[in-house]
Parts: sequence; C-alpha cells; structure tokens
Amino acid sequence: MTVYETEVPGVGHKFELELDGDERLVVLIHHDGKREVYHRPGENADSEKLFSLSGQLARQLGSILEGAHFQPVELDEVRVPVGEAIIEWFDVEPDSRLAGQTLAAADIRDRTGVSVIAIQRGEETVSNPEPTETVAVGDILVTLGTRDEQDDFGTFVENDAPGTPES
Amino acid sequence: MAALLLEVGIALTAIALAGALANRYGLSVIPAYIVVGVLVGPNEPTSLAGIPLTLVEQREVIDVLAELGVVFLLFFLGLEFSIGQLLDDRRRLAVVGSLDFTVNFGLGALLGFAFGYTLLETMFVAGIVYISSSAVITKSLIDEGWVANPESGPILGTLVFEDLLIAVYLAVLSAVALGEGTPADAALAVATAFAFLGVLALVAWYGTEYLERLFDADSDELFLLRVLGVTTLVAGAALTAGLSEAVAAFFVGTAFSATDHTERIEHVVAPARDFFAAVFFFAIGLTTDVTLLAGVAWLLLAAVVVTTVGKLVSGTVSGRVYGLDRVRSLRVGFGLVPRGEFSLVIATLAASVGTGALGDAIPAFTVGYVLVMSVLGTVLVQNADRIVDRAGLGWESTAD
Repeated sequence: MTVYETEVPGVGHKFELELDGDERLVVLIHHDGKREVYHRPGENADSEKLFSLSGQLARQLGSILEGAHFQPVELDEVRVPVGEAIIEWFDVEPDSRLAGQTLAAADIRDRTGVSVIAIQRGEETVSNPEPTETVAVGDILVTLGTRDEQDDFGTFVENDAPGTPES
Repeated sequence: MAALLLEVGIALTAIALAGALANRYGLSVIPAYIVVGVLVGPNEPTSLAGIPLTLVEQREVIDVLAELGVVFLLFFLGLEFSIGQLLDDRRRLAVVGSLDFTVNFGLGALLGFAFGYTLLETMFVAGIVYISSSAVITKSLIDEGWVANPESGPILGTLVFEDLLIAVYLAVLSAVALGEGTPADAALAVATAFAFLGVLALVAWYGTEYLERLFDADSDELFLLRVLGVTTLVAGAALTAGLSEAVAAFFVGTAFSATDHTERIEHVVAPARDFFAAVFFFAIGLTTDVTLLAGVAWLLLAAVVVTTVGKLVSGTVSGRVYGLDRVRSLRVGFGLVPRGEFSLVIATLAASVGTGALGDAIPAFTVGYVLVMSVLGTVLVQNADRIVDRAGLGWESTAD
C-alpha cells in the first residue's frame, strides 16, 4: 500500500491511501487539528467527503482502529512456530467428521501427521488427551505439526464425508 | 479617546457582520470586508436614504493595523512556502509556473500598454492581474472537495510558483518605484534590496537552530509576542531602509518554515494574522473612492474578460501538463481565476508611490478588479461542473 503525503499551504497536510486499483482514501489534516476524510471511488470520479472529526475524536478513532482497545484474535491466522512444526487451533463444527469420534477412531496422526496436544472445551482444557477421548462439537483442537500437515488436518477436520485427505 | 474607541468599535463590528454575511452565502470574506469599508468610510456613498454613513474616518490606528495585515499576510506566505515541494516537483512546476506567468503577466502588460500607461504603471497592472489569491482559492478547494482530487496538484503547485515570483517582483518593483531618479539609482536600489534580502535569506538558511532556541517559549502568550515583535521589527527596519516591508516579512516567514515552530505559529499567530488582514481589506475599502471607478471602467471590463480567459487557458494547459483528463484540467483553469489579497498588496505599494495613475486610478482599478474577480472566481469554481457539462465537455456527455 502506498501513502502519498502533500502539503496544502495555509490548510495543513493531505494523505492519500491507495485502496483497490484507483480507489483512494484521502485524509486532510488541518492546522487547527480538524481531520476530514474523503473517499474517491476511481480516477474519473469525485472525492466524496465521508466525515470530519476534531483532533481529539480523530485520535480516539485512530486508537480504536489500531486495536489498542480491543484486538480480535483472528483464529485463521494464529500460528505458533515450534521448530519445523507449528501449533494451530481448529474449531470442531457440527458437520465435522470428527464430532462424536474418539481420537483413536479418527486415527488423526496416521492420516494427517499432526498430534492433538490439547482440547479446549469451554473453560476446560484437556491437555495431552488420551486416545479414548471423544471429540465433541464446539471443541477447539490444538494441534502440533508441520505447515503441510496442518493444512491436511484443516481439510480433514472440516470434511464431513469419510475419506483420505489429499497430501 | 472616547470617539476613537467608538470608531474602532464600529469598524470591527462592521467587519464581523460583513464576514458573517459572506460566509452565509458561501462567498469569500475579502470582497465583503472591502465593500463594508467603502460603505462606512469617508468616501461616497456618504449617506443612505438620508442617514449619514460616514461612520469611520481613516485613522492612523486603522492604517497601522492594515499595514500589519500586509506584513503578516506575507509572513504566512513565507512560512507556508515550501522550497522542498518546489524542488521535488521542479520540472513540472517550472513548466506550469512559467506558462502561468507568461500568459497572465503578458496579458496584463498588453492591457497596460493598450490603455496608455507608462512602463512602471504597466508593470503594476501586470502584477495585479497576474497574481492569484491563495486565500480565496484554498477556501474554494476545500468547500468543493477538490482538495482531495488530483486537480489540487497543479493548482497548489502554480500558487507555490507565484508565491516565489511575487516576492522577487515586489522586491524589484518597490526598489524601482520608491527609489526615484536615474536608471543607475534604480539599479543601485535593486542591488541594495537584493543584498538585504540575501542577508535575510542567509539568516533563514543558517539560523534555523538559533531561531529554534530563541523562540522556544513556554507559554503561547510569550511565543506570540516574540513572533509579532521580531516580524514587525524586521519589516519596519526594511521599510525604513527604503525596501519592501512585505518582502522582508516573507523572508522572516521562510526563516521560520525550517524550524519546528511552524505548527505552533499556525495555531497561535494565525488568529492575529486573520485580524490584521481583515482590517487591511476594510482599510482598502475606506480609502476607495468608488467615483474613480468610472474613469477606469473600460480597463476594468477589459481586464476582467481577458484575464479570466487567460487563467482558464493557462490553468487548463497546466492540468494537461500534470497528465489530468479534460474535466480535471478545466477545473484547474477555473480554480486559478480568483484574485485577491496579493493584488491589493501590490495596489497598496502603488498608492504609496502616489505619482500619476499610481496614486488613484490603479488602486481604484485594483479594488474594482478584486471585488469582481474574487466573487466571479468563487462562483465559477462552484459552478465549474455545470459549465463544463453545458459545454458538452463533461465526463458523462463524452468519453475522454
């Protein structure tokens, strides 16, 4: 993403953020602290003023956007590296083939290569689960494996039809 | 004292009312301040339906405030003048800047000669019609939202070029105009002017760190007083030495532009500038004798038509130089039409020379010209899209 900065004499500074293609978000910061935000849909279109904020409000909005108040955990992207292997979290959806099966019956390690190192069930954490542990809908499986193995397991856990995941 | 305080009170209230009224109708405040100055001033009209209208005499106190208006208009021009921006974009700016200068200063010079003015008077007329109004233009750009569009690039770029040129122009012209006598005297005066400005420029360049510390005041009050003090002192010294106080103030402004105080000046000193500048426009109105406009009516008409077309053409071509499409290029042309504060600064210099047409006809012409061009320019910008569509040049009517 490119940000262009220009000085507007007597007014303040202008920042242009490149969005998709020709789309631009334009922020005008006045010397008196006022911020005006414009959106330009394309090259042959006029900028439309979205809103203007006082300096104080703009800083508050800025810190909210930045995630200083609340940082959502984007589960799809959570990866913790452990050497070659990484740790990932998987939700067990109601239509998952794993729901109601024991870990032994699912044969997870042989089929995908990952090891289930913990099961998060509501407030409770089952660490080092026994092979006889039954997976329930709503569980979060914490798995250890290489990136490829994790991808295989991702396909495996989502799939409701029995079958061998592609490797 | 009572009478004086009352008069200044009337003047400031009249300025406040005029400003509020202009703002209500989306027009620039500059012509409003001038018109209200004409109305309550000592010249015609002196009464309206039997009510005497000469409420404010031209007093020294108003003159001093108006002079500070000139000084701080130019001080801020220098402060906001970005040499970096000029250098970053020097190739395109050199093209659009020289185009703008050649077309519009050229047309002004032709007008001056066509109406039989002397060389010096013609140089004044050319400068007055050449320089666009930064104040009116930036306000229009924000009001119309063009500031967030690509057309703001060539418009603001042209203004930066004009800012630099007007500093040089004022320095040369005031040296020539105020230093009477032989060409040798004039040359000496110009040389002195540039020597003085050179010193100021060197201070501006090398004195950044020193200025930084000198103006590092704890309270805004002390900061404001220091900036007002130093700027006015340097401007006064320049004027005493027979140089342009406006150009001196411009260089003081550029000296500050390299320091970290820029933002603080914008916060703290800008209100003082706005006050002084409003009184300056009002004082222009006070000194204007509208009956003199009859004598320059043809020049005024010709100038309005020719220089509007001039800016439209040079602006549109400048837009093309920046690679803009037809609609945006035309907007650049419309955007550069407004004239205002700097034309009046030049007219003030003409009035201070005071000989021949410079004493009355040219200042009266400038007031009429700025009144028309500031309003016409604003209205043109507000209706630019409609005019372009009507002419069949819009985005929707034809493919570019």
